Formats: sequence, C-alpha cells, structure tokens
Amino acid sequence: MNGKKKITNRTIVLTAVIGSIFVMAMITANTLWSSNQTGIATDEAVSEVSSFYLEAMADRRSRTITNLINSNFDQMEKAVELIKGEEVDSQDELRHNIGLVKSLLNLNRFALVDEDDIVYTQYTTYTGRSRHSFLADEQLNGRMISTVSIYGSSKQLCLAIPTPDLTLMGKPFKACFVQLDIQDIVDLLAFDDQGRTHFALYTKDGVNLSDTELGPVILKYNFFDVLKNIVTEDVWEENHENFENGRDGSITFDVGRSEETLCYVPIQDTGWEMAVLIRDSVIRDKISYISDRNIKNSRNQIIFTMVSVLSLATILLFQLKRFSDDMLEEEKETSRTFKDMANTDSLTGIRNKHSYTENEKIINRHIQAGEIQNVGVVIGDINGLKYVNDTFGHAAGDKLIKDACSLICEYFKQGAVFRIGGDEFAVILQGKGYDSMLEVIDELNSKVEDNIKENSVVVSIGYSVLKQGDRHLKDVFERADKMMYERKKG
Amino acid sequence: MVPRFETGTVPSFRILDRMCYNNAERLPKQKDVNCAMRSKKTWISLAGLAVVLILNACASERITESTSVENRPKNTKVVNGAVDFDHELDRYIPKKDHYNFYFTYKTVHPWWDAVALGMEDAQRQFLDMGIRITYEYMAPDGASAEDQKERLSEAEKKDYDVIGVDVADEKIISPILDEMVDSGVKVMTFSSSDAAEGCKRIAYVGNTHNYQDGADLTEALCKKLGHKGKVAILVGSVGAPCHEDRARGAADTIAKYDDMEIVATEYDMDSVDKAYDLTLKILEDDPDLDGIVCCNMSNPVGAARAITEKKSDAVIVGMDHDEEALHYLKDGVIYCLGVQDCYSIGFDTIQVAVKIADGNKPGELFPEKTNEITTVIYQEDAAQMLELLYGDVQ
Repeated sequence: MNGKKKITNRTIVLTAVIGSIFVMAMITANTLWSSNQTGIATDEAVSEVSSFYLEAMADRRSRTITNLINSNFDQMEKAVELIKGEEVDSQDELRHNIGLVKSLLNLNRFALVDEDDIVYTQYTTYTGRSRHSFLADEQLNGRMISTVSIYGSSKQLCLAIPTPDLTLMGKPFKACFVQLDIQDIVDLLAFDDQGRTHFALYTKDGVNLSDTELGPVILKYNFFDVLKNIVTEDVWEENHENFENGRDGSITFDVGRSEETLCYVPIQDTGWEMAVLIRDSVIRDKISYISDRNIKNSRNQIIFTMVSVLSLATILLFQLKRFSDDMLEEEKETSRTFKDMANTDSLTGIRNKHSYTENEKIINRHIQAGEIQNVGVVIGDINGLKYVNDTFGHAAGDKLIKDACSLICEYFKQGAVFRIGGDEFAVILQGKGYDSMLEVIDELNSKVEDNIKENSVVVSIGYSVLKQGDRHLKDVFERADKMMYERKKG
Repeated sequence: MVPRFETGTVPSFRILDRMCYNNAERLPKQKDVNCAMRSKKTWISLAGLAVVLILNACASERITESTSVENRPKNTKVVNGAVDFDHELDRYIPKKDHYNFYFTYKTVHPWWDAVALGMEDAQRQFLDMGIRITYEYMAPDGASAEDQKERLSEAEKKDYDVIGVDVADEKIISPILDEMVDSGVKVMTFSSSDAAEGCKRIAYVGNTHNYQDGADLTEALCKKLGHKGKVAILVGSVGAPCHEDRARGAADTIAKYDDMEIVATEYDMDSVDKAYDLTLKILEDDPDLDGIVCCNMSNPVGAARAITEKKSDAVIVGMDHDEEALHYLKDGVIYCLGVQDCYSIGFDTIQVAVKIADGNKPGELFPEKTNEITTVIYQEDAAQMLELLYGDVQ
C-alpha cells in the first residue's frame, strides 16, 4: 500500500494541462497538415479543372455555332420551297417574296443567285461574282460554308445551298445564300463571366475571325504568330497541324507568374477552330478562395471547439476538484465519525474500552521507551447497577451509568476518562491530572460518601501509579482494579 | 516561359500624303468641313515650305503638297481616316418613301464591291427612316463601253428614279448620257470615272482627282528612284477616265525629269492576270526596268506577282486597296498605294441619288462633284490598313 503514489490535486491538474496541450498540438498539427494537403490537391485540381472546364465550354460554344448553321440551312431550304410555290414574274415580286421569307423565317441577308451570278436580295440586285467567292465554283454541290472577309474588316459566314429546280422570272436560279455576321455569332456566344475566360474563333491559319481577345497575350493577333513566341517549336507544330486537320487540342503556357490554359475544338464544316482560354490563376484563386474560406472556417471551428473544450475541461476540473475535496472532506468526516464511533461510548459519550486500549498501547510504547515516569490509573465501579437494572429497568440503569460518568468526569477534568465495562470506568492521569490525583480521589470519595446518604450514585474507586519495574500500563491498571475491588468489598 | 511578344504594340505610321480635294460646289456638310480644316492645318504646318508649295501649286491642281517620305509626320488618325466607315445621312428629308435606282459600273471587281457596301449602309439608314431604297448594281465581267451602252439603253426603258453610271469610256458614254438627260432621265455619274467635261449628267460622286493621284504616286516613285530610270505605266481599261487621267498624271510627272523615261504603257483591262502577263513582257523587253506606275486596282497585284517571280528590283507604285496588294506593300514589293475611300463613294452616291430623284439640282443640297479622298500609304502603314479594311491582324 505504501508503494503506490497518491493521486493529488496537482497530479490531476498537471495531467489535464498536459493532456490539453497535447490535444491542442495534435489538432493544430492536423489542421496544418490538412491545409498543406488541400493546397497540393488544389494545385493538382486546377490543371484538370481548367482543361475540363475549357473543353466543356469550347464544346458547348462550338455546338451553338453548329446548331445556328444547321438551323439557317434548314430555314433556307424552307425559304426556297416557299418561293417555289409563288408565281414570280418580276423583280419587284421577287424582292417582295424575299422580304416575306426573310421575316417569316428570320433569315439574315437572304439572297438568291441566278445562272448569270446576278444576286437578288430584298432591296438590291447586283452582279456578285467578285463579291461572293463561292459563285466562282462551277457547280454548287450541297451545303456550302465559307468565311468571307468584308471590306471594312467585318467578317461573315456565308451559307449557301444549290437551288436546282428553281426558276423565277423565266430564269433558272442556281443557289441561295445567307450571310451571318461573325460579330452576331460572337454576341450569341458571349456571356458575362466577368472576364474570367476568353474565347476567339480562328481560321485554319490562325487568323482571328471573331475580333475578340484571347487573353492578354494572344489578344486579337494571329494565333500562330503569337504562339511561336510562347511555346516550343514542337508544341507549335503539333497545334498548327491540329488546326490544319480540324482537330481539337489544348495548350498551357506561362505568362509571368501565372499559367494560362487554352483549349480549342473544331467547328463542324466551317474550317474554324473555337479557342477558349482561362488563366489558371483564376481557377486557382477561386479554388484557393473556397479552400481558404473552408480552412478558415475549420480553423475557427477548431479554435472555438478548443476554447469550448478547454473551458469545459476547466470547469469540469474545478468541479472535479471541488467534488473530490468534498468527497475527501466527507471521507474524513466519515472516517472521523467512524473513529469517534469506535472510540466513544454511545451511552455516555466518553471514550470507550477500544479507545482505552489504543491509548494503553501508546502509553506502553512511551513507558517502554522510558519517556514516561508519571502516569496513574483510577478505576471506578458503579455500585448497585445490577440491582437498579433488575428493579427499575435498563433506563434507570442507563441513567445511573450516565450519572456515574458525569460524577467521574466532573472530578477528573484533567484526566482521560474511559468506560471500559458496563459499570466500570478508567481514568488515565498524566501531567497536572497525575499531580492532583490523590486530592481529586479524596474529593470524589467524599462526594460518594455524601451520595450514599442521599441515595445517589455511588462509585467505588481504586487507583495506582506507575512504579519501578512496570513495563505496561496494564500493571498499573491491575493494581488499581484490585484496589477498587477490595474497597468495594470493604 | 515568358512570352517575348509585346502586347498592345501598334505599328507606327508614316503618311506620304492625304489628298483632299474639294473643287465642287458642295454644301458644307460635316465631312467637308473636316476636310477643309485638315487642309488648313496642313497649310499652316507646311508654312515653312511656302515657296515650294506655291511653285508646286502653280504647276498642278493639288491643294496639299507632299513632303519627302523621310519628313512625313506620323499620323495614325489620317490612316484610320483613309476610309470612312462611320457615316450618317445628312438632314435632307426625302420626298418619297420608295426610290428605285439603277447603277452600272465598269466591271465586276472587288473595288466596286467596296463601293456597294457604302451604298448598302446608306440604304439601311434610309430604311430606318422608313424610306425604301431599291436598286440594281450591275456590271459586265470585263470593262466594255459597248456593254455599258446596252445596259443604259435597257435601263432607260424602265422607270428608274435615277440612273448612275461609272463611265467606262467617256468618249462613247458621255453622248449617251446627254441623250438620256435630254429625254428626261435623271442621270448621275459615280465612283472613279466621271463623264467628259460638259456632259449634261446631273452630278458626280467619287474621285475628282485621278490625274493628281497618278502624278502623286509617280512623284513618289521618281523620288525613290532619284529622278532617273526607266518606268512602265500600266493603265486599266482603255478610255476609262479615271485610269486614263492617272496615266496622264504619271506621264506628265515623268516628263518633268530628263533622266526618266517611259518604256511602256499597257492596258490590263482591269484583269490581274493580264497585268501579270503585261509586266512579264515589259520585264522581258526591259530587264533593267526601274519602276512601274499602276493606275488601277488590278495593275499592282499583277505587277507585284511578276516582279516577285522575276526577282526584279523595279519599284511599284499603284492604286487601291486590294488585299493581296496590301500584303505586297507590307512585304516591301510595292512601294506605295493610293487608297480611295470606296465606302464613302457608295454612301454619298445613294444620298445624292435620292436628292436628284426628288428633282433637286446641284447647289445648296449637294455639289455638282462630290469629292472623295485618296490616301497614299507606305509599307509601314500596310498592316494597319489590312486591319482596317480586312480585319487582318497579324
């Protein structure tokens, strides 16, 4: 039992503090590690997200143009059918009909071309061979898409279809066409993404058709002229071939400290490439912003949790300490109570036989150590207790015991009084009590004499003191006890 | 990898000349006022060269004088203004809500397609006002006065409000125009070739300074050659006033210098292929040819192709804005080009035609000759001109 360390308040507090620091250190380290991992994962994700995002965006925009083209072709075919069904004998009637189908089918710059390459629109009739390059072809086979550079820097997409069975004003007509302004197509494709992405339409030669800036480096310049300065020759060649062959692809290049990624996809049948560019820093910033915000939130949560836990732990610690103090105090009280109960006579409230024995042991050690020379023992025995018990009952007997106890205690104020038996008391006297022992015994005996007359409590007294050769208090006790019996007999 | 490309670089411009003529009795519309102001500024800025200017002014019809190439001020604004794409109709209120015109020009060629775009712009703007303009804009595949004669004859039979003509041959066409006017048809001329002096046509819209254009281009060539050498002149269509006037201007300029000689004068009939063939032949006859003056749009393209093929050092000066020619200019094969404002020609033609259709005569509403400018550009201007006209950003 002595080998085990005692758990003290200090131990509890120390354990709690070290435990808390350890937990906090673990949480902090975990947070830092998570932040670092998030950063690495963010970087890895940026490239993939950029490409994926751009591919999807380029694809979507490419499809928009393809749908627009197909829709215009369909509308042109309907327009031809509508005009075929009309009786058109003059240029005015033709213009009127062209105007009708234009508004009905929402066709922009719809025109018909006769066999002499005369072009008929809603308002004009003109010789069109030099103006519309597709008319130079001997025969138009099926749908034709061409890009037209218009004087004044605007560019248009010309969509033409043959009209083999169309005869108007007595003349065979060979084709019809619409011209879509590329700027209108750009407007259709543009959406407000707050300048995060850039897009441009290119010819196979890298000429910018859309008049839009593909980021801060390529701008509106020829794609391949600029690319030559920012990528290796191999990369340039690869992408040039992709454009030539109408394939898709992507390029990533550094601009200062940031990285730019662009993706391009071919637009069906046009010979165009749709390029979309995004600065990786935009995605990185966005992801970092989200990531930082999450980390910050987590950090705040962790701090909040830590503070809460610490507060709670502190409160609990104090509560625990208080509780343990209370428990300890209670324990002590109980122990004291038990001890008191073990050493106290329940009837009289004075120390009992057990207490006497405990004291006897201590005194014996002192006697044997030669530390005590003066100690006296007085034995008092109540006369007639059995008679009172038998005659007047135990209550009267108990009262008699209490009266006897009071009597003894009254006289041996400077001694330790013990009830060592039913009607027997012992008093151990040391110091002043020892010095006045005989005087007090005389006074008590005198009192007893009076009590006999008054028919009150009577106690027979015997006493003795430590003598040479006594090894134990018991020796003193036995002499006192013998004396008491003898006096009682007498 | 940091790109070496310098973003936002704008090519520098050095303008030889911006010729602004206004010898017509025009109303002072905004464009004319600006033009006059520019001329005035030019006068002031060239005050130091007053003596030379006066002498030159006496010797020619020019209002502005070109300075040497080396001393030209850089003026991007002037190059950007070589072709004015930003037009608005003037305040004239047409009397009808529908006009129907007939226009015929020399030959099917991109130059007149550019004029057509200006016409269409005006037509759209009238339409926005609720006035419908319809017209025919027709030409033969090759320049032909006879073909034009037939077209006019057919057009005369129809009830057009105005008939506009880019005169294929002033000697043949001018009398026909007079007859048409006499018979009550409202006739105007447009683009680059007016009718002969004294023709009864009501008005002209276009280049009024073809002779001077030819003279200016040739003067630049002569300076480049140090005023000596053999020069060939390529003309367009025979009898076409604009081409012939430029050729005369060129010939007169060369005649001023004793050490210069005209070794050939040929007509390509507005065909690039023919211009190419003619140049090859001229080079064959005179391998040490020093220069070629080109008087139309097809000449410089054909000449440049031949010069490149033969690796000749001949210096080419020419007219107009053909995209291929501009690329040759950019590459240094062509020395300079005189770019006409086709867009404005087309736009103003429609505006004037409406006024003529309403019975107006030249005077307060419009001049008898509406002049359109020519701007001479050099190699350093080519890229921006390509961008301006064709959106060709390199």
